[in-house]
Amino acid sequence: MAEVVLQAEGLKKIYRSAERELTVLDDVSFTVEQGTTLSIIGPSGSGKTTLLGLCAGLDVPTSGIISLMGFKLNAMNEDDRAYMRNQFVGFVFQNFQLLSTLTALENVMVPLELRGERNIAAKAKELLGRVGLGDRLNHYPSQLSGGEQQRVAMARAFITSPKILFADEPTGNLDEENAGHITDLLFGMNREEKTTLILVTHNLELAQRTERILQMKGGKVVQERIVTPA
Amino acid sequence: MIDYIIKLKRETRSIFKDRWVWIMAWRDARHNFSRLFLFTASLITGIAAVVAIGSLNNSLQDDLDRNAKELLGADFVVNGNKKFEKELLAEFDSLKFEQASQAEMASMVMFMNTKQSRLVRVVSLSGDFPFYGKLETQPADAYSKMKSGRFVMLDDALARQFEVSSDDSVKVGNTIFKIAGVVMKIPGGGGITATFTPSVYIAQTELDSTGLVQFGSRVTYHQFFKTKTDAEAEKAEKKLDPTLKKFGHWLETVKGRREGLGQGFKSVYRFFSLLAFVALILGCIGVASSVHIYAREKREEVAVLRCVGSSGWQAFNIYFIQVFVLGIAGSIIGSALGVGIQQIVPTFFQQYIPVELKFTISWIAVLEGLFLGAIVSVLFTILPLVSVRFVPPLAVLRSDFEPGRIFSKTKIAAIILIVLFPILAAAYQTGSIVTGALFAVGLGIALGFLTLVAMLLLFLVRRFFPKNSSFIFRHALSNLFRPNNQTRVLMVSIGLGAFIIATLNIIQSSLLSQVEFTGSENQSNTILFDIQPNQRDGVVKLIEDNKLPVNQVVPIITCRISEVKGKTVEFLQNDGEDKIPNWALTREYRVTYRDSLHHSEELMKGEVQSRKSGQKDSVWVSISEGFQETLEVDIGDSITFDVQGVPVKTRISGIRKVDWPKDPPNFIFVFPKGVLENAPQIWVATTRANDNVVANKFQQELVVSYPNVSLIDLRLVLSTVNDLFSKISLVVRFLALFSIITGLVVLAGAVLNSKFVRIKENVLLRTIGARTSQLTKITLIEYAYLGLFSALTGIILSLASGFVLTKFFFEITFSFDAVELGLIGIGVVVLTVLIGYFNSREVITTPPLQVLRKEG
Repeated sequence: MAEVVLQAEGLKKIYRSAERELTVLDDVSFTVEQGTTLSIIGPSGSGKTTLLGLCAGLDVPTSGIISLMGFKLNAMNEDDRAYMRNQFVGFVFQNFQLLSTLTALENVMVPLELRGERNIAAKAKELLGRVGLGDRLNHYPSQLSGGEQQRVAMARAFITSPKILFADEPTGNLDEENAGHITDLLFGMNREEKTTLILVTHNLELAQRTERILQMKGGKVVQERIVTPA
Repeated sequence: MIDYIIKLKRETRSIFKDRWVWIMAWRDARHNFSRLFLFTASLITGIAAVVAIGSLNNSLQDDLDRNAKELLGADFVVNGNKKFEKELLAEFDSLKFEQASQAEMASMVMFMNTKQSRLVRVVSLSGDFPFYGKLETQPADAYSKMKSGRFVMLDDALARQFEVSSDDSVKVGNTIFKIAGVVMKIPGGGGITATFTPSVYIAQTELDSTGLVQFGSRVTYHQFFKTKTDAEAEKAEKKLDPTLKKFGHWLETVKGRREGLGQGFKSVYRFFSLLAFVALILGCIGVASSVHIYAREKREEVAVLRCVGSSGWQAFNIYFIQVFVLGIAGSIIGSALGVGIQQIVPTFFQQYIPVELKFTISWIAVLEGLFLGAIVSVLFTILPLVSVRFVPPLAVLRSDFEPGRIFSKTKIAAIILIVLFPILAAAYQTGSIVTGALFAVGLGIALGFLTLVAMLLLFLVRRFFPKNSSFIFRHALSNLFRPNNQTRVLMVSIGLGAFIIATLNIIQSSLLSQVEFTGSENQSNTILFDIQPNQRDGVVKLIEDNKLPVNQVVPIITCRISEVKGKTVEFLQNDGEDKIPNWALTREYRVTYRDSLHHSEELMKGEVQSRKSGQKDSVWVSISEGFQETLEVDIGDSITFDVQGVPVKTRISGIRKVDWPKDPPNFIFVFPKGVLENAPQIWVATTRANDNVVANKFQQELVVSYPNVSLIDLRLVLSTVNDLFSKISLVVRFLALFSIITGLVVLAGAVLNSKFVRIKENVLLRTIGARTSQLTKITLIEYAYLGLFSALTGIILSLASGFVLTKFFFEITFSFDAVELGLIGIGVVVLTVLIGYFNSREVITTPPLQVLRKEG
């Protein structure tokens, strides 16, 4: 049996404001095993992005337990969770989230530099080459197209060889052609690196490429199904 | 257990060991250099002002130390307002030191080439004065020529003013002297006194021939001594002290004059350094405000860094390193600039400084500047940057996500240190914790009031701005309320500069209007003094012959106090319990007699001076307000005067409030009629001459007919006061300008900070049809509003502070020149528009498609 990399148990997230309380997630439980792929789908406001944020340790649940690589995220402070993310987690976001003042190469190197590793440029160049940007190393994000920026973001996500990769609508800001390229690249690299992939998307076609789908509605998991390969 | 492992594995690196934060700081900074430099540019002006003033003070104090003996020209000097007594002269001789003497008095002189006359200080010299330093003359032998007979030397400025040459001659009193040369520099000379009354030097042997020393003439005598060692001077001081005290003379040593001058300049320095400090504080506000916006803009990038594993401190350190390093760079540039400015300031003030100013760099001042810059760079950036530490990584998914209120010890510490900083820094500058605290509180109140006025103005403008005015005026106004526009900070910082300049202007106007005699019909502007009794009628006739009004003819009697409340002066001098100052007991008093109040006087207590027949002490005199406290007397107390050897016992009848500058002469003591008429006396007459030709003709005739009578032309005094004040205010304005420059630097930063928002707005306006000329107008009007509101903020507050200062501190009538205040306002508006427009050109000229592509 494969190792469990992510375990969510009875997750509840309530946002409180002066006027009211809003329950965004209610009693969500699931597990994800090493090397598998999972997509979370659902309409806007169903709680899927909140769930992704909690699973990645970007936020803490109001109640319930999240365990990532066996470590309980609830009990950690923000800096400890940041350390966890640097060690085990990769991200791909809808709006790319590259650092505008850094070149493509520098953006990719950042996570390893944070670990204090040296001589990492070669690895970053190799990854940028794999995503087809070997000739754009010194370009700044503003000099790249949307598809190219997302490829840099993927190289950045994979440079630490993460155990688990979180992708939030990775093709949401791309045209159809670029979306196709990125999807292929994402699943290809995921396979090669044996990474666990958790994908949040509206796109059912994209979700169908993962092994498992969690359907959310009103902050609850309303359906969980295994995708049968076509 | 797991958490424990994580904590163990996570290595926390200090800022110095974390290579990554330095690399990231550099990578991020290289794209933001122009903006980051603006943060520190506001620091540069403040540091430059502080270093310039500090370095100038240190150089000046060093120069005073180096040339200490030149300040006096001797090791010590004995000064007196009357001829030294035989007993004292014998004591002088017994000291067996080298001696030189000097007598000086105010008198009219006439320049024979043009027949013009002027009140000068006639200085008669004997002996080999100066013992230290050089009396520099042109030609070089002028001093020895002067000693040889009827020759005179003139101060350089006086010679220039009356365009005299070596062939000309000057009439001093009854005697005509040939001009031997001009005095370029004399030890102990110069200073502010020389500005009001320039000097004419003659040999002491010639003094009697002038006939100037008559009864009632005010002559000051100096006896200079040269000793072999400082210890000898101290010994002599102790030996002479009892006799000097007895006769009411006083002794001055090199050390005393050095300390007095040093203290005087230090007070001026402290005042200027506090003004410079205001510029620095404004710079701090500018830095904090810009860093605040910078930190907000970096929020998204920080969230990404947090996502990929950066700790809160690491993210903070990246931006802290940027701002700190540039802060240090700014401090270095500011210090260098300050040293440069230090060279300019003495050109305005050299004539008021008794020693030659040598340009030296004060490394202490430079180090202070650097240290201050480093502290400011840390303190005023920590507070706005602390928020970076708490940017939630979740912000990458939800940009509007805000964490709840977070308690941060760093933030609390920064706030405490920021509050303490101005207090401690001002205390250091002024050398007093109380003054420092008061200054800091005062500055806080001023900034608070400026903020309030700024808020109120903005509120009123928004509320009452005409709704039907044209679009560009309405849109330019709404731009001021754009989020992150820093309008209030800009209004406060630019307004503070305008406030200082306008307050200074109001005080100058009020002071000048106080001594402004030309505007008031009945005020005298010409005072004639030292009129002998037998000359009185002749002088009055001369005034009348020139068709000038005779405003006052007042007798003056010189006397001294011999007893106060039955206690002799000697007793009071030696009595430890009485606190009456020695100068008040031994000074010469000039009194007059009349039975009524002068129109510059008001009776505060008791009765007007009078003779009360039938009473034992029949002479009741009145005293000026304030002096009764000095002499510790009240209504009914007795004072015995020594009037030329005749004791006159009097009692205090009343206390008069005297408006001293109003129609002088005014007096401390006024006797009733019927007491002093037969005492030796001199007369003072006052008149008013509006026409220069008439005034000059009258002065010439006066010097020819009555050479011993002196004349003070108050118009000349007024123009000298104005000139002096203008020079002082030039430096104050210069320093206040630093505040305005700081405000403008903050403005430039704010414009750059909001550049992208502005470009987007303009693109939208262009898309819906706005023309470049309209966009330009909107931009110009927006900055005109900003300049106008800032100037108004400063000027409104300056009127309030000017009123308070003139009423309660200077105790003079509040007045201001609306035109000059208007010009200050226009100056601020023009500067603001120029800086704002200069930095906005790109915003106006960017083509819409370029932005839309970027956005896409």
